[in-house]
Amino acid sequence: MQKSFYTVWTFARLNAKRFFRDRLAIFFTVVFPLIFLFIFGAINKGGGSVSFNVAVINESSSSFAQTFVKEAADSKVFKINKSITSLNDAKEKMKRSELDATIVLPADFGQIKSGQYPAGQMLVYYSPNNEQSGQALTSILQEQFNQINKQFVDVSVPFTVKAQSTQEASLSRFDYTFAGLIGFSVIGLGIFGPVNVFPELKKQGILRRLHTTPLRVWQYFVANVLSQGVIGIVAIAAMFATSVVVFDLHMKGSYLTFVLFILLSIFTIYGIGLALGGWAKNERQAAPLSNLITFPMIFLSGTFFPRFLMPEWLQGVSGYLPLTPVIDGTRLIVTEGKGFIDVMPQMGLLAIWSVIIYFIAFRVFRWE
Amino acid sequence: MSAIVKVKQLKKSYDGKTVVNGISFSVEKGEVFGILGPNGAGKTTTLEMIEAIRPIDGGTAHINGINVAERPQEVRYIIGVQPQSPAFQDKSKLKEILEMFAAAYGEKIDPNELLASVDLLEKADAYVENLSGGQRQRLSIAASLVHNPKVFFMDEPTTGLDPQARRNLWDLVKSIQKRGITVILTTHYLEEAEMLCDRVAIMDEGNIIALDTPKNLVKQLLSRGFTKKHHVEQANLEDVFIDLTGKHLRD
Repeated sequence: MQKSFYTVWTFARLNAKRFFRDRLAIFFTVVFPLIFLFIFGAINKGGGSVSFNVAVINESSSSFAQTFVKEAADSKVFKINKSITSLNDAKEKMKRSELDATIVLPADFGQIKSGQYPAGQMLVYYSPNNEQSGQALTSILQEQFNQINKQFVDVSVPFTVKAQSTQEASLSRFDYTFAGLIGFSVIGLGIFGPVNVFPELKKQGILRRLHTTPLRVWQYFVANVLSQGVIGIVAIAAMFATSVVVFDLHMKGSYLTFVLFILLSIFTIYGIGLALGGWAKNERQAAPLSNLITFPMIFLSGTFFPRFLMPEWLQGVSGYLPLTPVIDGTRLIVTEGKGFIDVMPQMGLLAIWSVIIYFIAFRVFRWE
Repeated sequence: MSAIVKVKQLKKSYDGKTVVNGISFSVEKGEVFGILGPNGAGKTTTLEMIEAIRPIDGGTAHINGINVAERPQEVRYIIGVQPQSPAFQDKSKLKEILEMFAAAYGEKIDPNELLASVDLLEKADAYVENLSGGQRQRLSIAASLVHNPKVFFMDEPTTGLDPQARRNLWDLVKSIQKRGITVILTTHYLEEAEMLCDRVAIMDEGNIIALDTPKNLVKQLLSRGFTKKHHVEQANLEDVFIDLTGKHLRD
């Protein structure tokens, strides 16, 4: 037993050493997911604030209209496309959804009417495919004008609606992005890695040679799982640190729970890679099958966009994929501060998958 | 002397094509035994069946009294295997390769001592991808001997090596034999067989067509009235090459 442990330990130790000497491997395992993190993080940063891509066409020379245009340009709500000067140009852009809406100030907008105060009607154009932003924009503008109107005409309004934020911490879009990209990283570590490595080791006869020694399949598996676990923790830690520093991620749960959860996640997903890479005789066998298994998981488990956006029946099905508990559990622990007991359902699902996956992996493993 | 490897009626076929056709031979303890034959004769398949990495279709193989097909795991502890083209994972240091192979047998070794025995001590901390072909062969031999096997299999050990590396490898094989290890090797270089092997089996199309000492095989041929057409020179081109370039290793 002690000898067996020494065998496993030596293989694991040398595997990990080899990895950390290999710049290409480090790039794909550690740096590559970071690039995704930067891209998706930048897209989904902030979360709360909304801004509209609009064109403003001012046909009026009134000072009120001039002031409005200037203030709109300073406002964070609008991103004004200054290159558009005619309604026809604007319509072209709206057709392609490059613009959310176009604001037109007619020639008489802001002219002083009845000698007392400026008045006018502003027009908001939007195309049918942008109806939501068009209407949201209209109501924001309406609210603004209500404020202005009050200054000119004192009216008391019997019924009003006031919007108020609950002030409770809610999940930002980045919280979903983070959990999803952790899932993506685990897939990279657990599946893309071994699916490339094992067929190559078979091609060079390295595994066949090990087969002439008394090394057992389980020893080889455990050694690989151990080294991959260490590598995985390093890769996930890099993502975590970047998210905290650059994207203002707040760790709400316990680090110990998170580390244990990630280790179980890597164990489960790596089993898929072991099964695929261990079964395949060469890259040509490994690549199509691994794509067939990996891509549906990436898209259905909430890697790049959250699962709640999917139709309900699909959410039901995708909830049982092995990657889904990885992403859900990460979100629950990191952004919602849930504890060990709360993520039991996720860990249970991972455990069940592990049993199935490793059973298959042992059955299909080939040394050459 | 007693037989350490016994092979009886060994058979193997792929997709209905017979590759090894019921061959029998035995190898004495401490012998260097050669299996000669052209490409596709079944040499490698024969070795792989005895090494317990390829299922045996028919017949039996015993190593040190252990049935290979029935107790392959026990056989693995007493054999060392040198593959045709040894490869190692990149970014491994030489001493780590030996540590790893020893660990596969559950053993802890001093890698430097083994590296010194194959003239690679100064490369202990080099990465395997920076080795020459001959150095890789020597590392591979050291890796096969980490557990002091009783029988050492070498599959075409000198294919692709330059004459210096080849001669060096021959010396190495002889020193392994001196340690009391039985060596079974395949080759298609006949002078190599003549130089190294105590006995050779000549294989063709899955059958052993001759088995004896190199000397006896030549004697039998001559007794059948064979004469060479050309007068044999006292030296050949390889002798000239070695004389001009020296015997020392180039890697």
